Amino acid sequence: MSHTIQTTRDDYLIAGFAALAITIHIAESALPSPLPGIKPGLANVVTLIVLCRYGWRMAAWVSLLRVLVGSILIGTFLSPTFFLSAAGALASVTVLGLLFAISHALPGWAVGPMGYGIAAALAHMSGQFWVAYMVFVPHSGLLTLYPLLMTLAAVLGIVSGLLTRTVLTRLNSAPSDSNPV
Amino acid sequence: MNWVKLSRGDTVVWLLAVALLVSLYTMFWQNDGHGAEAVVMLNGKRWARLDLFQDQDLNVPGPLGHSHIQVRDGQVHFADSPCPNKLCVHTGWLSQGGEVAVCLPNKVSLQILGSDPRFDAINF
Repeated sequence: MSHTIQTTRDDYLIAGFAALAITIHIAESALPSPLPGIKPGLANVVTLIVLCRYGWRMAAWVSLLRVLVGSILIGTFLSPTFFLSAAGALASVTVLGLLFAISHALPGWAVGPMGYGIAAALAHMSGQFWVAYMVFVPHSGLLTLYPLLMTLAAVLGIVSGLLTRTVLTRLNSAPSDSNPV
Repeated sequence: MNWVKLSRGDTVVWLLAVALLVSLYTMFWQNDGHGAEAVVMLNGKRWARLDLFQDQDLNVPGPLGHSHIQVRDGQVHFADSPCPNKLCVHTGWLSQGGEVAVCLPNKVSLQILGSDPRFDAINF
């Protein structure tokens, strides 16, 4: 019995962008990090681009696939790193969903890449921090680090917002978007 | 500042982010382990519990006489004591959680209660 799964244009786009995000995610995991939990978050730029161009549903797919497949490829699946990363991704996808809904309800107050970037980074850091604090290291000393980590996250969020905006401008001035895959 | 062109929505998000960061710093960095309460022990038993933000004077009747304890502006100290060497008085003002002043001759001790004591243990 043959069974064909109907694929849509969105499926291809999600797969393509997720592959891109996973590649960046893995490349980034090879970078040394001064503090656990601090990463440039370049893979998030892909999520933000998808959010701005194709909407929240696809961005959520790309982000969660990236965390899942990325962790399997790096070998951290179901390890603490994976749970931290997943909590961060879930938190940031949730916050992005809220902002996206607000942007569509009130077009005059629409949020752009710069707003999405900082909000996603702060949400990601909060998500992973609270999982780290509640589950892995429930010591009140960790709370002292929280404001500092959030400040770094805000700075990195601004950087990813700037990158997203630059890439979006280039994409929008590109000759054709008719055949994106 | 041409490179940060923010839309109205972006500006709101940034302001919220700044407000969040400021509140995080005040929430997690302001609390320096300052105690709010102190306990006075006499002869090994709890004799009084002091609110450090209510200025007061206390005379603790020890075997040698009255130890005079003073609370001022979130701090507490032995103002005077009938003991010979006055170590308790020389200990000075206490304010941090876990800090202790003891008068062995008069069997009076004073300790700041704190959820986050500055030291785990003190050894003389």
